[in-house]
Amino acid sequence: MVDENQLREMVKKTVSRDDVKYVVGYEKGTYGFEVTPSFAFTAEDADNFIFSPLCVNNLATYLMLEEKPLLPEGEEPDTRKIGLVVKGCDSRAVVQIIQEKGLKREDVIIIGIPCTGVVDLKKIKARFPGHTKNVDVKDEDDKFVVTIDGKIHKIPKEELLPDKCKHCEYPTPIIYDILIGKEIKSTKKEGYREIELLEKLSLEERWSYWEKQFDRCIRCYACRNVCPLCYCKECMVDQLSPQWIRRSVNLSENTVWNLMRAYHLAGRCIGCGECERVCPMDIPLMKLNKKLEKEIKEMFDYTPGVKVEEKPLLAMFKPDDPEDFIL
Amino acid sequence: MEEMVLPKRNLPKFIEKILVNYQVFAPVEEDGVTMFKQIRDFSVVNLGFSNSKVPPKILLFKQTETLFKFTPGTKGKIEPVEKREEKTVVFGIRPCDAKAFAILDYVFKGDYEDPYYLTKRKNTVLIGLSCTQPALNCFCTSFDDTPASPKHVDILLTDIGDKYYVEIPTGKGKQLLKDMNKLFGSASEEDSKKKKEVEKKAVNFISRYQKTDGLVEKLDKIFENPFWKKVAMKCLGCGICTYLCPTCHCFDIQDEATLSKGARVRVWDTCMNPEYTLQASGYNPRPSRMNRVRNRIYHKYNYYPKNFDVIACVGCGRCIDYCPVNIDIIDVVTRAWEVRG
Repeated sequence: MVDENQLREMVKKTVSRDDVKYVVGYEKGTYGFEVTPSFAFTAEDADNFIFSPLCVNNLATYLMLEEKPLLPEGEEPDTRKIGLVVKGCDSRAVVQIIQEKGLKREDVIIIGIPCTGVVDLKKIKARFPGHTKNVDVKDEDDKFVVTIDGKIHKIPKEELLPDKCKHCEYPTPIIYDILIGKEIKSTKKEGYREIELLEKLSLEERWSYWEKQFDRCIRCYACRNVCPLCYCKECMVDQLSPQWIRRSVNLSENTVWNLMRAYHLAGRCIGCGECERVCPMDIPLMKLNKKLEKEIKEMFDYTPGVKVEEKPLLAMFKPDDPEDFIL
Repeated sequence: MEEMVLPKRNLPKFIEKILVNYQVFAPVEEDGVTMFKQIRDFSVVNLGFSNSKVPPKILLFKQTETLFKFTPGTKGKIEPVEKREEKTVVFGIRPCDAKAFAILDYVFKGDYEDPYYLTKRKNTVLIGLSCTQPALNCFCTSFDDTPASPKHVDILLTDIGDKYYVEIPTGKGKQLLKDMNKLFGSASEEDSKKKKEVEKKAVNFISRYQKTDGLVEKLDKIFENPFWKKVAMKCLGCGICTYLCPTCHCFDIQDEATLSKGARVRVWDTCMNPEYTLQASGYNPRPSRMNRVRNRIYHKYNYYPKNFDVIACVGCGRCIDYCPVNIDIIDVVTRAWEVRG
């Protein structure tokens, strides 16, 4: 269990510093199981901050969503730091962005939370449908404790964990300035079982599987916008000259969009699963990301977002790469 | 308005009869996602849904619509697309989604008549299905509507046990049911009472409410308030809320061509996208998320009522259900009321 009081104290301390603009964390949402990103500009704002297994969002994306409007002549930009509450997986996004020089380490103050697993909102909503009032979910060893209208339900974690937590190897943030609670070591391992099942299908079967998925895509770009690593100033899908992808929404263009996005994240995706979580059409986007992650692990023995001092995959060369694929 | 009953066992037959003369779209579930799709027989229809993922607006205001085709170059020419007059039935549409068409009509029938939408609208019969169990974020009752309102459909079916209570408010609906008398029975007073009970129960099921009386004037006073910046801080700028909205209707027009052939297409656009207002000069009148999020709220609750005397929200709850960061339009409006200004 995360000590929420300690979290709020630390956020208050951080936001009170002269060199900090605001701190991004979580607060209760407007209904049911919802938790929502929260921005603390003052110490009082931090009173709203919470941390529970419902805090699913990867807030690292807000580092890259910060708007930098043109300023009137003579006005200096606000270069103060941003504080950020991260779980293990979220911190890997920050590491990856720093590696890519998208962000300087000193521009962010990281408040790390060793994470014992979050709740898959789709699963919990299906299990307890129709709750408008805020529902409290707590963490207790290998169970989630859900309190609804005073009634306590203890549910084995396995039943509510999202896939990413089931195989999480990095529950403790990789980098942090402040850690709330004690480090947690993971004994889990990503075995890529689901990916292996897909790999066993024939080419035709796989193609028709993905055709069915991409056919539904409505190109809302929520997958891109929620992704902490999709931070290109201009996304290839928005470019008009040359136009890489047509605006027509059909299977062909949708396929190009989803595959190109997956490739742009190859060796960069840290597996927070946000794209799949937000997809309104339930496209299993993590299967694409995990496939590429698996390939990269096998070919280059590389895991993105775990070492700050390391270079990004596509910016480095190691003479001892496994590279079995080169003849 | 005529009232009848349809025994449930006759429903497949009813659909089959319609299929003889009409193309039929109905809610179909695939991979856990319910959407309105063209059906060839009744067996694929899923009536156990609350709201379809994408609203049925997509059938009349298509996400990608070819306006005309062309051959590029100096000897180029334009080919109009064939005007398709297929008679269509949308079966199982929810009263809120049907109302959305009435709201969209103002735009597509406004200063300029849009033949693409209007042709489909004219040829489409809406067979509504009352909600007996509205979803978590439904709030149609905030707009003087009910989950069992026949106001905006041609025929409305309400599940009253072993039969459907059938209301036929329009001539279009009557026309469709011509020659199908055998399938229907006449409605007794008991049936009509049952419908009212079902409706009342559904209304009571709705727990969310938005206060809209006087909202136009309120919003006029707080346009410049920093409140909007606060609301927009967490917005990711994706298109979920607008694309899944049954009344959002903005589009972009693009020429898509190869060297030898091309087409001018109209595709859905979203005011959440910075490019939406980006001008050729490079100037953007809605430069930040604050401007864009505020625009979505104002378009629905201020500009639309000013232009057409109707709020451009039907309370389907989709934008609330699917927002990745819990920007909740009920909550935004509720908090807007508390802003001083």
